[in-house]
Amino acid sequence: MLCQICGKREATFHFKEVINGEVRELHLCEVCAKEKGWDKPFFMPGFPLSNLIASLTDIEIPFPAEEVETVRCPICGLSYEDIKKRGKIGCSSCYQVFEKYLTPLLERIQGKTYHSGKIPQKGKVKNGLSKQIYELRKELKEVIKKEEYERAAEIRDEIHRLEKDEK
Amino acid sequence: MKNKTTLQEIANSTSGWLMGNGPEADVVFSCRIRLARNLKGFVFPPYAQPFVLKQTAEKILNSVRKSNYFRNARVINISELSPVEREFFLEKHLISLEFIKSEDYRFLVVEKREIISLMINEEDHFRLQSIFSGLQLQEAWQLINAVDDELERNLDYAFSPKWGYLTACPTNTGTGMRASCMLHLPGLVATQRINGVLRGISQLGLVARGLYGEGTTPQGDFFQISNQVTLGIKEEEIVDNVGKISRQAVEEEKKAREILFRKNKTELKDNIGRAYGLLANAYLISFEEAMDLLSKVRLGFSLNLLPKVKNIRVLNELLFLIAPAQIQIKEGKELSSFSRNELRAKIIREKLRE
Repeated sequence: MLCQICGKREATFHFKEVINGEVRELHLCEVCAKEKGWDKPFFMPGFPLSNLIASLTDIEIPFPAEEVETVRCPICGLSYEDIKKRGKIGCSSCYQVFEKYLTPLLERIQGKTYHSGKIPQKGKVKNGLSKQIYELRKELKEVIKKEEYERAAEIRDEIHRLEKDEK
Repeated sequence: MKNKTTLQEIANSTSGWLMGNGPEADVVFSCRIRLARNLKGFVFPPYAQPFVLKQTAEKILNSVRKSNYFRNARVINISELSPVEREFFLEKHLISLEFIKSEDYRFLVVEKREIISLMINEEDHFRLQSIFSGLQLQEAWQLINAVDDELERNLDYAFSPKWGYLTACPTNTGTGMRASCMLHLPGLVATQRINGVLRGISQLGLVARGLYGEGTTPQGDFFQISNQVTLGIKEEEIVDNVGKISRQAVEEEKKAREILFRKNKTELKDNIGRAYGLLANAYLISFEEAMDLLSKVRLGFSLNLLPKVKNIRVLNELLFLIAPAQIQIKEGKELSSFSRNELRAKIIREKLRE
């Protein structure tokens, strides 16, 4: 079998990757494997075979042609065209500026477009559920001040329920 | 690197996760979790100017210095390292292939046991990782989660309620988490059941990958299972999925080893005995050959066929000590391939006699 990069030398490195039941193989000669730094994969936790395969087959990312060169992120100055070329996003504000391109892209890569994992400690008061809890805690203080204990008990139960959900 | 003694110290100490004391350590070589994190308001490293990298590195190092988890940590400036020294850290699973080529303002922070480490200004502003022996993903997650919380106290992370932790590559957005297990599956390879098993287990947004031997260049029958999806899933679910699937692979591997043992006991014993004989008596040995033979001996140990080998730790350590850069750093100079083969054989002979 010949090397899939140079197509000349005999392949002696055989990589295998299975994603969602689909087996993909990559066969490289020693020279090309060395050049890619892939001659010692045991020492590379998380070696990105899919990235290498992607770069060989050049996966198309769908995006509309207009605007992509003119709209730029105010923080890093990149256009979506720049991002697409390199396959890397420029900064956190790109995620807002290019939201309409990134949403379908993320959906394709990840299958989902909403985060459901960890929230930074500092962000907790500002985000979603945590924001609700934060508001309820404020309200709880108010009603206790006004000595409305029945309402306070209700709010307290609601906070407990939400905190459970959050975990 | 300016400080050669630090490097020698690292070369002469055994990483905590190589001890082979975790559950299922004869099949699960190691498990690892890494988190990708970026700072709010700073351009991500692939596009950042040097002065930005300097700022982010300072901020992160400042937070690291305040952390209890990094009290005994070493901070290594990657740009001060020679190519062999960089290779050395790559072989030790402490830096990535991308990081090895990087320039100024890139740092590796690693605590003494090498269980927790941090790459600063790789593709993301930093990547935190924890590695454990055997199947201990839960433990690795609990630890890394706590370290992440502590580092965050002095940092503002790039985070959005919709998309979670924002990363340079969209394949990491969300949790920024990759959980993986490195599995040693010689039984499944020898019984030719590896393909079926890998195909069967690679569901639920997981990936299985590895390098398999075909004739001349096997590299030890090591495979890795990790999560592919990082968005729309909780960290605990990722840990659970990767852990469950790895456990399934462990069960399949154990069955395969049993079949091998029952069906071809004499051939298997012969094969393993010869591998041990070569390792214990060779005076010149290449990295590839040593990897291949060590894989067989590792299998032999777990089947109780090699009473001379006292514990799996010796074999785990050897798998690392035989790598080209490890040998050169330990020796304190760059060596020709011939000298490396000679030294490698010596290291193996001595270690097996311990």
